[in-house]
Amino acid sequence: MKKHLPLIFNYQWRKPGCFAVLLCLSLPISVSAQSDTTKKIKEVQVNTTTLPAVPLAVPSQTISASDFSHYSAFNVADAIRNLSGVSIKDYGGIGGLKTISVRGLGANHTAVLFDGVQINDAENGQIDLGKLNLTNIQEITLYNGQPPTILQTARAYASSSVLSIKTIKPYLTAAEPYAITAGIKAGSFGLVEPYLQWQQRLSNTWSFIINSYLTDANGRYNYAHNDNGVKDGGTRNNTQINAQQTDGALYWSKDSAGFNLHINYYNSDRGLPGAVIDNAPPTFGQQLWNRDLFIQAGYEQKWADGFSLLLNAKFTNSKLHYLDPHFITATNVLDQHFTQREYYQSTALAYSILNNWEISLAADVAVNNMDADIPNFSFPTRLTLLNVLASNLVLGRLTLQGSLLYTNTFESVKTRTAYPDQHLLSPTLMATIKPLDDQNFQLRTYYKSSFRNPTFNDLYYGFSPNKDLKPEYAQQYDAGGSYRKGLDGLFDFITVTADAYFNHVSNKIVFIPTLYNGSTQNFGKVDIKGLDAGIKTALKAGNGYRFDISANYSYQQALNVTGPVTDENYLNQLPYIPKNTVSFNAGISKGSIGVYYNQVAISSRYYNNNNDAADYMPAYSVSDASVVYKTSLSHFPVTASAEVNNLFNKNYVVVQSYPMPGRSYRLSFQISI
Amino acid sequence: MKQFKLHSFLVALASITLLASCHKDKVTPAPSKPTAERAGIYVLNQGGIGHNNSTLTYYDYTSKSLVPDQFAAANAPGTLGDTGNDLGIYGSKMYIVVNNSDAIYITTAKTAKQLSKITLHQPRSVVFDKNHAFVTSYDGTVSVIDTTSMTITKTITVGADPEQMAIANGKLYVANSGGLLYPDPPTNTLSVIDLATLTEIKKITVQINPIAVTADAYNNVYVLSLGDFDTKPAGLTIVDATTDAVKSEPTVSLGYNIPIYTQGDFVYYPTTTDNKTYQIAVYNAKTQSSASVNFITDGTSITTPFSISGDPLTGEIFIGDAKDYASNGTLTAFDKTGKKEYAIATGISPGKIVLLNK
Repeated sequence: MKKHLPLIFNYQWRKPGCFAVLLCLSLPISVSAQSDTTKKIKEVQVNTTTLPAVPLAVPSQTISASDFSHYSAFNVADAIRNLSGVSIKDYGGIGGLKTISVRGLGANHTAVLFDGVQINDAENGQIDLGKLNLTNIQEITLYNGQPPTILQTARAYASSSVLSIKTIKPYLTAAEPYAITAGIKAGSFGLVEPYLQWQQRLSNTWSFIINSYLTDANGRYNYAHNDNGVKDGGTRNNTQINAQQTDGALYWSKDSAGFNLHINYYNSDRGLPGAVIDNAPPTFGQQLWNRDLFIQAGYEQKWADGFSLLLNAKFTNSKLHYLDPHFITATNVLDQHFTQREYYQSTALAYSILNNWEISLAADVAVNNMDADIPNFSFPTRLTLLNVLASNLVLGRLTLQGSLLYTNTFESVKTRTAYPDQHLLSPTLMATIKPLDDQNFQLRTYYKSSFRNPTFNDLYYGFSPNKDLKPEYAQQYDAGGSYRKGLDGLFDFITVTADAYFNHVSNKIVFIPTLYNGSTQNFGKVDIKGLDAGIKTALKAGNGYRFDISANYSYQQALNVTGPVTDENYLNQLPYIPKNTVSFNAGISKGSIGVYYNQVAISSRYYNNNNDAADYMPAYSVSDASVVYKTSLSHFPVTASAEVNNLFNKNYVVVQSYPMPGRSYRLSFQISI
Repeated sequence: MKQFKLHSFLVALASITLLASCHKDKVTPAPSKPTAERAGIYVLNQGGIGHNNSTLTYYDYTSKSLVPDQFAAANAPGTLGDTGNDLGIYGSKMYIVVNNSDAIYITTAKTAKQLSKITLHQPRSVVFDKNHAFVTSYDGTVSVIDTTSMTITKTITVGADPEQMAIANGKLYVANSGGLLYPDPPTNTLSVIDLATLTEIKKITVQINPIAVTADAYNNVYVLSLGDFDTKPAGLTIVDATTDAVKSEPTVSLGYNIPIYTQGDFVYYPTTTDNKTYQIAVYNAKTQSSASVNFITDGTSITTPFSISGDPLTGEIFIGDAKDYASNGTLTAFDKTGKKEYAIATGISPGKIVLLNK
């Protein structure tokens, strides 16, 4: 607890904010963060005049590209913070780590899919949503449980929730064989972000799209006095980010078959400002470099006899370089390199036995390995096999879906002891019913069992790895309903959804630091009772005015039930999980101009297990506003927008000792040719 | 048979009632035999690293009141900051060494009201001798503070990442851990500083990664080393302060928590074989042999022994329990026979326990 062990760096990245212990290492970094915002838009596509999508067997919430500016969103974390059940852990600033927690479960329980294929991180299991830029994204959907699709990768069944990101696909005609969109965003934090998108039609069947952006910002911001570990105001320094990403995708489609190939390269160089420590000068010079390359290919075909096939393959190479030039060591430098690779192949085959009965099989193979230039590193390689049998049966008003996932992992290491092989079955059952003649009303329920394996960090980091670590299990029970209706009068449509759920987590994986070392252990059980509710509507007033309004509410009672019952923390709320989250989004638009307002309010939380005054983090509410103007310049469509984040300049922290930015501005300009 | 069952039932019922009544109760302080000399007891809690939540618990023997953070109470809105690592009282002043906040707070001993603050990079531990306070720093130094002027008057270079110190035979013994030399291995020396000249006169080789140091009345210095977490385990080195040579290296089964404390003829330190369950071993300083495998005689369990102290006047031993390092800890007082007297609630990771005299 006292010394700073160099190995700690990675643990920072995994501080899930989950209950227990974690933060005892003094990490050199501080990129991790967690913010709790909640956004919700259940199954509704904002700002469309059409009726929102049909509710699914599981709760799902979608936000599409046209909505991003309504939420003043700069990255994926911003875009999804209104969703119900979502907490974003945010360490603050433009380069600060942002991870998702859904319904009180740690970030490792949410799979992030990129065009259907998981962005996997075997090293720490958490995806930094701040790294995911919005410029090439068409749509983001959060599914509780799993996407209720019959044909998908086995990995899509393997997590307690799925954040599915779909990229923009080219839709071009022979008359207009290409489209180029260029834009720039600039504003506070010294931000300049030019981006370019080129869509090109090559033939009747082939097309490609290339998205590229460059982010440059000094990231600096002032923060004010705050009780949450931040005694005095100051400036966050060493917050610069320089990032570039290029995503190229090639598409082929013919009749009922389609193929795509993605090549994605992300390169960033970030400063790590660290925690704000009383009295001590801010750390400086800590730096993080990411070099991530992935190549992903997919092929899908449907046959008339009822068979359909989905093939996916992916190779990922992720390099992470961490430097602390002022670390107290023999050389006063801590310089670490981590590389992880993934080789992934997925095959899914579905068959319609009857008109109302489909079954599918999905088989995934993944090989993950990791290198690090730290002493005694184990150089682990993990082979994961996932096999799923799924079925979808429609019986009149009742739809039954089920899946059974069998996971096998096999691990080998060069030194020390490998994590034992795992062989686990994970069932899911879902049912929906439309009990009324009004088909717009639907009830749904699901049960899902899932787990997350210990990550390489959990297993092989630190001096004394825990050979007996077990997977962390999550059981989910959900029941809810939804109602949607297209209307003719003043209201364009209305959708209402509500779900109550119960999650039980056992064998929770937490990092228990000892005095000068630490170990990862299965410590703890959690019971989470929650409620997600959302409403969305649009009004058509006179004179062409349109009002879009959505509101979401989340209740999360996430209790530590580790026990024994005499333990003073028994039945305490988990750290960083707010009991109440309310988000609200409203927009007024007329013709080419729209004005939008967004607000997320988070109730008080505790950052430690005791739930006492010393751990208290006060409630906060953050507002954003934007103006979007669409016009044309020499017949070329142009969009200009101005966005304000933290409109009322509220001082708050999401993670203890990591103050968040005050009011900030961003201007965007985009032209399509 | 029937009667037996009824009896079992009643016992079970009583147990349940007892458990239920225990549920979430805060620990109730009830010292049985405070001596007339003692005003109360301070516990310095490290808090979580990066959380700026180090606190100073004070329990007053007379009023039987518990102040969760006496420093904050006396210096509002000031707080200790991040990872208070050591605490010492010398005369009427108290020295609080706050590691990550680069601070040594000098306060009145009785109220913890701040008198002065010295900024020192990554300070670790404090001991006192002849109007001097000695503070180790991860910069590889021992700073000498004049306790009257409350300023640093000299800086003595020692080994890498010095931790705790002890005074014996007119000399200051400093554990040079080298625990941060990564990726190089930790170091294995004990610096000897002559207290008359305030200069380092020798480095004694001890077991690798020395952290905790204590001295007895027989010119023995006890050094607990953490080992290298790989092939070299944690161990105990006993140094003869007369000759400054290693006297013995008794075989002990140390865990990763290694507070050590001398009281009278006995040296107390935790042992474990699995890093899960701990015992408090007692070593006889006079005979230089093991006195007891476990000081605790009534079955009281300490999850994570994080600090050990005691009251020489009563023979009591106090053990700070850090539990899971993320929850509030406890201080448990044992009488000299190893039976629990009482427990008080502390903050997170209670790392230092100091008695306050009236």
